Amino acid sequence: MSRYEVNVLLYRLKKDREFRARFAADPAGALAGAELTDEEREAFVAWNARRLNELGGSLHLLISIPGLGAH
Amino acid sequence: MGRIVYAAAMSHVLHPEYYDTNVGPHGRRMVEDLIAVVRAMGRDLVARRPDAVVVVADDHLNVFSFDAVPAMCVRIGRSVRRMVQDDAIEFDRALDGLPDRYPVHEGLAERILADGLEDGFDFAASWSGALDHAFLSPLTTLYGERPMPPLVPFWVNCFVPPLPAARRCFAAGRHIARVAGRSPWDVAVIATGGLSHFPELSLARVGESDVEFDRRVVGWLEAGDHEALCGLTTKQLHASGSHELLNWMVLLGAVTPARARVRFFGEMGRIDLAAAEWTLA
Repeated sequence: MSRYEVNVLLYRLKKDREFRARFAADPAGALAGAELTDEEREAFVAWNARRLNELGGSLHLLISIPGLGAH
Repeated sequence: MGRIVYAAAMSHVLHPEYYDTNVGPHGRRMVEDLIAVVRAMGRDLVARRPDAVVVVADDHLNVFSFDAVPAMCVRIGRSVRRMVQDDAIEFDRALDGLPDRYPVHEGLAERILADGLEDGFDFAASWSGALDHAFLSPLTTLYGERPMPPLVPFWVNCFVPPLPAARRCFAAGRHIARVAGRSPWDVAVIATGGLSHFPELSLARVGESDVEFDRRVVGWLEAGDHEALCGLTTKQLHASGSHELLNWMVLLGAVTPARARVRFFGEMGRIDLAAAEWTLA
């Protein structure tokens, strides 16, 4: 399991407002080109923050994504 | 000859509204009490008239990304900006209105970096990293409206594994003390970061802290038992959510064998708050 892909996407969701808006409108479409496992992709699409955290997603990214932040 | 004239460590979310929202009125009261203590410590710091303030804190994936995360990084250059972020989280938004730019003590920063590389510390260097709440919340509470001396921001990777070892952070602090000692400058060292919070960096455990662990840490700080603190493993720090203690370890290396005067210790539940200072001859 590589934590890199998950965290690069979380970082982009935190920092890139346009990408965040695309993700909010169409999660699966926004992630189409991302190198994710099926499990990682499902967690993103369902926005299951706890599962993303278990899959290696950084807590500090997960709690600081505007509009999606999970406290 | 220069020397370290003052050292203090403290939690770095000094923002009552955050704790009010996430913990409730007792969280707000506790952090307000801590802020009053940190302001009093600021008077002690100002009285020592440091030429430079080394500030040891961690990045919250704002300056660095998963593209590259240095174990330790020295900010060099002439000045450093306050971090401005679109849609910042609330305690970074609280920095809005503070000055945009702060002077860097170029001479001391360069010596810490270059002498470090000469002596086997492979510090990274940053010319552009900006300061978030981990630096500016404590600094502005300490200094208030008074002018701040030039800074040497120093980042420790506390959150993106693998982390530097506690003993290695302590060794980096000893290096900083050696550099200060052969410089012409009087130096203050400030380390920031909470005690236990977010055990295992698990979202499911946000809201917990490990009070027993923190009581042991506070005891070791007061006793000056730095060997016990250096012996903490990354696994222990991760399990207890005491990742940010790595910042404090750098400070301890800089002041050892001095004992801490713990001026505040509060068990909030979500996080344990503390402020400590070291009086140096």
